[in-house]
Amino acid sequence: MMVMVKALPFLWQGLLVTLQISAIVVAIALVLGVLFGTALTYAPRWVAWPVRAYSDIARGLPLITLIFFVYYAMPALKVNVSGWWAAVSALAAFETAHVSEVTRGALQSIHPGQTEAGRAIGLSFEQRMLYVIFPQALRRFLPPWINTVVDTVKGSALVSLVGIVDLMLAVQQVIGRTFQPLPLYVLGAAIYFVINYTLSQLSRRLEARFAYVRE
Amino acid sequence: MSYHLNFAAVWRNFGRLGWGLALSLELAAIGIAAGVIIGLALALFAQGRGRVVRTLIAAYVEFIRNVPLLLLVYLVFYGIPSVGGFAYSATTSFVVTLSIYAGAYLVEVFRAGLDAIPRGLIDAGRAIGLTPWQRMAYVQTPTMLRIVLPSLSNAFISLFKDTAIASVIAVPELTYGANWISTNTFRIIEVYSVVTPMYLVTGWTLLLLLRQLERRFALRRA
Amino acid sequence: MSANSGAPLVKVCDLRKRFGQNEVLRGVDLDVTRGEVVSVIGASGSGKTTMLRCVNLLETYDSGSIMVDGVEVGYSGEGPARRRRGERELARIRADIGMVFQLFNLFPHLTARENVMLGLRKVRRLGYREARDIADRWLARVGLADKRDSLPYELSGGQQQRVGIARAVAMNPKVLLLDEITSALDPELVGEVLNVVRELAADGMTMLLVTHEMSFARDVSARVVFMDAGRVAVQGTPREVFGGQPHERLRSFLARIEMRH
Repeated sequence: MMVMVKALPFLWQGLLVTLQISAIVVAIALVLGVLFGTALTYAPRWVAWPVRAYSDIARGLPLITLIFFVYYAMPALKVNVSGWWAAVSALAAFETAHVSEVTRGALQSIHPGQTEAGRAIGLSFEQRMLYVIFPQALRRFLPPWINTVVDTVKGSALVSLVGIVDLMLAVQQVIGRTFQPLPLYVLGAAIYFVINYTLSQLSRRLEARFAYVRE
Repeated sequence: MSYHLNFAAVWRNFGRLGWGLALSLELAAIGIAAGVIIGLALALFAQGRGRVVRTLIAAYVEFIRNVPLLLLVYLVFYGIPSVGGFAYSATTSFVVTLSIYAGAYLVEVFRAGLDAIPRGLIDAGRAIGLTPWQRMAYVQTPTMLRIVLPSLSNAFISLFKDTAIASVIAVPELTYGANWISTNTFRIIEVYSVVTPMYLVTGWTLLLLLRQLERRFALRRA
Repeated sequence: MSANSGAPLVKVCDLRKRFGQNEVLRGVDLDVTRGEVVSVIGASGSGKTTMLRCVNLLETYDSGSIMVDGVEVGYSGEGPARRRRGERELARIRADIGMVFQLFNLFPHLTARENVMLGLRKVRRLGYREARDIADRWLARVGLADKRDSLPYELSGGQQQRVGIARAVAMNPKVLLLDEITSALDPELVGEVLNVVRELAADGMTMLLVTHEMSFARDVSARVVFMDAGRVAVQGTPREVFGGQPHERLRSFLARIEMRH
């Protein structure tokens, strides 16, 4: 078990990379995902259709395949992005599609009468979104959104396959030196577990709190 | 700056993709079958047991759901043999991992399904004198299976996509085939522009087929 | 205030609309003068609710016209330049038309007071204090002064509907549209809502109501309109419409309603 303790500093570096990548992807996916989800629900067909197509394709492929594709296709297309950005973009594209689905679900669950009442008192589209729809959609959005955050952290482990030294790759590097796979994989799992379990408990707490009222 | 598309290399090696897809589907099928067995067994077992049992099962579920699948695959393939002193093939190890993974998700699905059974059915079973065992076997389980059918369909399609992870331990499924072709022929764009539709079309076909199945068997909740 | 004080406040002319193959409105003509209360009755499918929802453009209409205070609600421009109004123009027009809904449609995340204040602050652009005072006054008028800070789920159906009425009239609309506002209420709560409407009518609010409450329509309206198959079939004073009718469809409709009470 000494090996687990000695590994900690290396794993710590990897963990920071994992958290950094996760944070960036979550932020991008949140902004774009909410935007796309709103477009899916309210925009005219010629806007909603491409968004739908993007969302279906990005969710229809395995994440690992998407990452490989983006990572290896970029240089082939002579696009000059670093491997790091290729992997992160692929992960962001995947999560954006999921967040847009979560947003769409939350917005569509709002009773159409709310939009009507907002229109009837003369609110503009933006005002309706801001004061009537989004506040109500928020509570249906947050719990599943936190699940996408957990998926992002888990998905970030795949960047290890294209050479980014995150927690996953750090674990493997330590194993390469110490030849003790099991304790180190278990330790890595424990660290991921702590992060994600905390997040999913938060999601469950929120879900319970928001269940206070409904017709 | 020009990149000439050349699909010949892909078609020459299409066998790897075709058989890879077949293997992916097989792995998903075995995974869901094993997952159903594990999940159902645990869900039924947990009914009415004490806190210790429920906590242990919850620990299993939470652990699997919060750890990356990639890590689990490595753990089972490299980690366990290192202390067990045995070795197994990549495919076997992946099937074990996928089954454990599917089981964790399905325990929750089945638990929710059992909870969703209308009280009235159980009372009716009691009223005609069925024992708890009989009720579980003849009333609750069949009803619950019909309720969870949509979730099972979605789980199967997810598992199909999760099989791509097997490529990292050289299981010759679809993504592994794609990687083999792209590293050996450098035809990355061509390969992925064939493999992407393969995943998408398979996914949508599965969705359609499973919807048909649901329509025949699923119970809509009142 | 408006250009033609003698002309009807609401003028519906040859209104037509189809939903796919179904021609729901087949040339509806209806006028409401300022201060008048007009009730619209009819069987389901007669188009009465659709017609009402066209007045504030919650439904679009295909042809014909609806003028509210001299302004065509659905279209702008004349002749070849005639085009459907965009959302922004519609929002401005809707600010002057009030609507109360069958299902209340209160904003569940806002208190009663906030529900009433939202339009005042964001559409009428009033300051917080002014909006709050107006809201409080109207909530008191409908008998809910003590429920100002309650959320909709804490209120009974009748109370929620009264908040809905306050929300609509606080905006000082030119005309108030009421869409079967008591149909979703438990019978014992209907009276409190109808009393509020009665008072508003007495104060001179111009109203167009779609309702199933025949006795109420008889009491409060200056005119009753019976719609059938997408057109106005009969209209007149309550006495004319309810008091023995040569029109066959109206007779059978009234007979069906009588049997239920």
